[in-house]
Amino acid sequence: MATDGLVQIQPLEGAFSLQSHVPRDAPIRADGAKLCGIDVGSTTCKYVIASGSGEVLAKAYERHNTKQAEKILDFLGRLESDHGLAAERDRIFFTGSGAGLIAPLVGGKVIQEVVAVAASVEKLHPSVHFVSEIGGEDMKTIFFTGNSGSKSKQVLMQSACSGGTGTFIEKTARKLEIATEQLSKMRYTGHTLHKISSKCGIFAEADANTLLKAGVTVDEIIASLFEAVVYQNLATLTRGNTPIPEILLLGGPNLFFTGLQEAWRHHLTKLWKERKVEMPEGKDPASLICVPDNALYYAAQGCVEVALGEPPTTGVYLGSKRLRWWIEEGQHEEKKKAGRGGLWKDIEELESFKARYGGNGNGHSNGNGNGHANGNGNGNGNGNHAPVPIQAASVARLGPVSVGCDFGSTTAKAVCLSPQKELLFSCYALSKGNPIEDAKSLFRQIRAAVGDGEILGLAITGYGKDLLKDILGADCPVVETIAHATAGLHYFPDADCICDVGGVDVKIMILNNGAVTDFRLNSQCSSGNGAFLQGVAERFNIPMNEMADGAFRATAMPQLSMGCGVFLQSDIVNQQRKGWQADEILAALCAILPLNVWIYAGGLNNLKSVGRKYILQGGTHKNLAVVKTQVDFILSKIPDAEVVVHPYSGEAGAIGAAIVALDWAEKGGHTAFRGFDSIENLTYKTATSTETVCHWCPVNCQRSFIDVELLGGKGREWSKVPLSKGWERVIVNNSCPKGLVEDLNEMKVIKAGIEKTKNAFPNVADLVRKEAFRRVSG
Amino acid sequence: MRFPTLPTWFAKKLSVASPVKVKDRSQLRVGIPKVLNIWTTAQFWVGFLKALGVSSENIIFSSDTSEEQGREFGKGRGTVDCCYPVKCISGHYGELIFGQKKKINVLFSPMIHTLPSLLHGHVVDTITCTRVMAGPESIKAGFMKERDIFTENGIVYASPFVSLGDRHMVVQQMHDSLKDVFDLDLEETNLAVQAGFEALDAFTAKARQQSRDILNWCAQNQKPCILVLARPYHMDTGIGHEIEAELQAHGFPILWLQYLPGDGDLMNWLFEEDMRSGRIKSPFDISDVWTSSYSSNTNEIMWGAKFASRCPWITCVIRLSSYECGMDQPTYTPTQKIVEASRTLFFKFGDLDSTKPAGSIKIRVETVVHYMAKYSQEIMRSKLARLSPQCPLGPLQAPASSLPESEVPAGLHADNPPAVSAAS
Repeated sequence: MATDGLVQIQPLEGAFSLQSHVPRDAPIRADGAKLCGIDVGSTTCKYVIASGSGEVLAKAYERHNTKQAEKILDFLGRLESDHGLAAERDRIFFTGSGAGLIAPLVGGKVIQEVVAVAASVEKLHPSVHFVSEIGGEDMKTIFFTGNSGSKSKQVLMQSACSGGTGTFIEKTARKLEIATEQLSKMRYTGHTLHKISSKCGIFAEADANTLLKAGVTVDEIIASLFEAVVYQNLATLTRGNTPIPEILLLGGPNLFFTGLQEAWRHHLTKLWKERKVEMPEGKDPASLICVPDNALYYAAQGCVEVALGEPPTTGVYLGSKRLRWWIEEGQHEEKKKAGRGGLWKDIEELESFKARYGGNGNGHSNGNGNGHANGNGNGNGNGNHAPVPIQAASVARLGPVSVGCDFGSTTAKAVCLSPQKELLFSCYALSKGNPIEDAKSLFRQIRAAVGDGEILGLAITGYGKDLLKDILGADCPVVETIAHATAGLHYFPDADCICDVGGVDVKIMILNNGAVTDFRLNSQCSSGNGAFLQGVAERFNIPMNEMADGAFRATAMPQLSMGCGVFLQSDIVNQQRKGWQADEILAALCAILPLNVWIYAGGLNNLKSVGRKYILQGGTHKNLAVVKTQVDFILSKIPDAEVVVHPYSGEAGAIGAAIVALDWAEKGGHTAFRGFDSIENLTYKTATSTETVCHWCPVNCQRSFIDVELLGGKGREWSKVPLSKGWERVIVNNSCPKGLVEDLNEMKVIKAGIEKTKNAFPNVADLVRKEAFRRVSG
Repeated sequence: MRFPTLPTWFAKKLSVASPVKVKDRSQLRVGIPKVLNIWTTAQFWVGFLKALGVSSENIIFSSDTSEEQGREFGKGRGTVDCCYPVKCISGHYGELIFGQKKKINVLFSPMIHTLPSLLHGHVVDTITCTRVMAGPESIKAGFMKERDIFTENGIVYASPFVSLGDRHMVVQQMHDSLKDVFDLDLEETNLAVQAGFEALDAFTAKARQQSRDILNWCAQNQKPCILVLARPYHMDTGIGHEIEAELQAHGFPILWLQYLPGDGDLMNWLFEEDMRSGRIKSPFDISDVWTSSYSSNTNEIMWGAKFASRCPWITCVIRLSSYECGMDQPTYTPTQKIVEASRTLFFKFGDLDSTKPAGSIKIRVETVVHYMAKYSQEIMRSKLARLSPQCPLGPLQAPASSLPESEVPAGLHADNPPAVSAAS
């Protein structure tokens, strides 16, 4: 998604030239007006005040902690008292992300950032051909081509995604608890580098976490982050141009982080060598990459340079009165204007929504145990959350049942269905990291409920399906999509789409002819998932189950922008500073979620093509405010759409699996279920040692092998940790699916099997790959 | 700027080497980027170059596309192009220029304007996507923008504009654009073009025969197979990400629309009813579903959908498409509707780019396998019922369910959703 926000600005051919307008030896203007340049950036503000001829008198920079306007007011006060900035006489020019708001309040003129920086560079560094300016939330490159007077500039900038920006580095550094002073001294050279996602700050953080867990040193992680930033800048912002010396690195991150400067020097000198770029004689290539001490001030200084060429009537300072008014009053009034109404139009509309979707709320309230609540395919058509039956251990003895289990990453769930597909029983176990123990816990509860009742079939879904199939004697391992689609279609046979928003991912399943024909899984970008919502609620100390009420209390809310979660976080802080309250911000977050789910993450711009009946499920849809925004969003796109919430949102996977098992049994399948006693008495041994470390990638996860004694177990005689026949191995604590394959030996065994199948079942593309490019006949 | 040409290259060699006949091209090393429509025309170029005397071992194709290739050889030379299959060509060029132990002399990257096609003569035209056709030009710019990388490395850049779908034009086109590069006369160009088409036709026939063999086997055993509806470069493991191979590993033979058999007996059997009703004039006529039939690969995709919709043993179609492909966009709905009209399963893997979304692919592959196991037999039965009993693929055997258990691949137990190994 990094390319989405890429902006190419046309070369600024024939742009103003400082020299032509203002000769260096120009006399001080008769009016003696001072010139002030202020850069209102995303994390800091800077000012430069100069005499009428451009001679710098003073400068400063300070972090604004998202209070841009307040910081500028503070600056203006100091400029007036310490440097004699006077209203109606001196002139003031603004640049940076906050300039557009502030400049008109004090009479200033806005100068586009790139123009400002380019003006400084042209004046101070006539031999520079390439500038990289990395800011808090953006990155820019400027290529200067041609010579002196007639230089043309090509500008590329990116500000929609955190990849490659200062925030990208700082966010991970904060997570690693590295102080800013320490970060600035950390090195790039001399460290082993690891692959860190350069595209998204949130994923970089996740990568850094994984590396940390795997024992990689903090120094190596930070060096890898510097690598990722430079790579992202060079890969996305050079567009076929080679940065030619001399090079200027500007902006806070480039100035403060020694390691980042080293990474630039490493990559640029390597690139020059590869591309045979000519070097000025007798100069060390690394010395052609310059980070000026005042790198932070180039934009502010550029304002002054541009001001020198402007007519004396532009940008005349009007004093700080209006700015003060705006901070104290105006912004709050504007807040209401800029924001939008709450999540509902009027109280009747909200009540009618709640009556339809509010239902019984969430959770595991004890039902009456015999499943009348859900019916058979027609229950809860209005989308209420239905109570899930849980039976106490003493009330037991269900009839023949089909069992479905869903082994998720945080919880394992199981349900029992009657042959009529009624939900009879449900239970869950919080995952303890050992799937055998999780399974034992589930089956203990099932046994208590079922007693001597017959098990017709057992199906499992979730990550545990491949691990536990043989161990439990499951009849059907069911992939998640099928489990969810089966459960969805069981209750809503005419559904066109299932939207599952979970904690860490978003899944959209598009149904056609009763089959899942398209499937969107967003795990590349954190935008739109439940964890983000939860993270914000936690920051406001609001429990998840109270979040919806809070969001509904809001009668107005700020307008947040769709997209990158990293920027959304800073946007929230920004809105908070403007005075928006927790409830209002939560409402805004709920309002933005459908956009992030369907458009940003799901890539579905034309919802109409998907269909008209939608099922919402997954933990995040237990939040009624999210359901409301989802319903409103879908209806805004498809007025006759029907949106329902799955009655057993959290248990849908297990229910779907149980239905698949039931269908299988109805077709004459005889269950291979090992029995409660066998599961309860499963004997296993766990090994965690250097021999169990995963070597598929440099992360080297410390896995554990759980070896389970099992009748008919195939053993693993070829393994480094050999396993005799009569045992099966379950691998856990791997951070990716690759780790489920023990080592090269197992890979060979698996590959041989796949090759055998592939040879038996040809693929025409294999013929093309092998023979279409053959140079010798035959 | 003028490129060095073969005579000048040899002139340099001649000054230092032993006497070499000017037209002895055996030592000339020609690098071809394995991209775009080269995937279905490679044998033409091999046949052509070999006929000119270029030794087999001196014809070098770049490797399959990969992120590493792009990082190492293509970095920073990208173009402003959202088409990943075009964008990644810079990695291929870079690999041919910088990544060869023995340097190449010619970087040969044809701009293919029209393509040979089974549908030729039955459709309006068989031209290529303009972005794809001009791809070599825009990528070349990345290597010449600041300095001429080709000349610096002693490489001649050759990019003939050629209409392979209009065979009568090819000799002249090749001669015009390559005469200086290879020191060609018209007659030897003519012979080389003929040799090229012979090699290409032989390979295409072989691949179509393999598809026919697969369908024969499916018919004999009443087993399903999968058809991939995609553009030729989706066979590139770095662009199509071998998605179809994951399904193959579950025990399903895989057909690609580019090499579907066009044999008369089979065509007449499948399209008999459509022709009788006058809906189409020939089995290769797609005017009933696609009137703007200019684009070769798009036409074939539409025809492939029609073929799949009728052919009983193709019970599932996999649609692959690259990120924001403007040519594919208008075909998404029609192909899906055509395929699903006979309740044949249809699954789309869209927006493919450089990253292989392994987790999502695994889930989807398992999903496809589940539905194939569940519905294939029924789909085959219902499609067969619509066709005449005189099947050209021989007498049909009993349905799969009565086959010995050992012969039924894991994916085909209709009553047993298959397990999937972690490595698949």
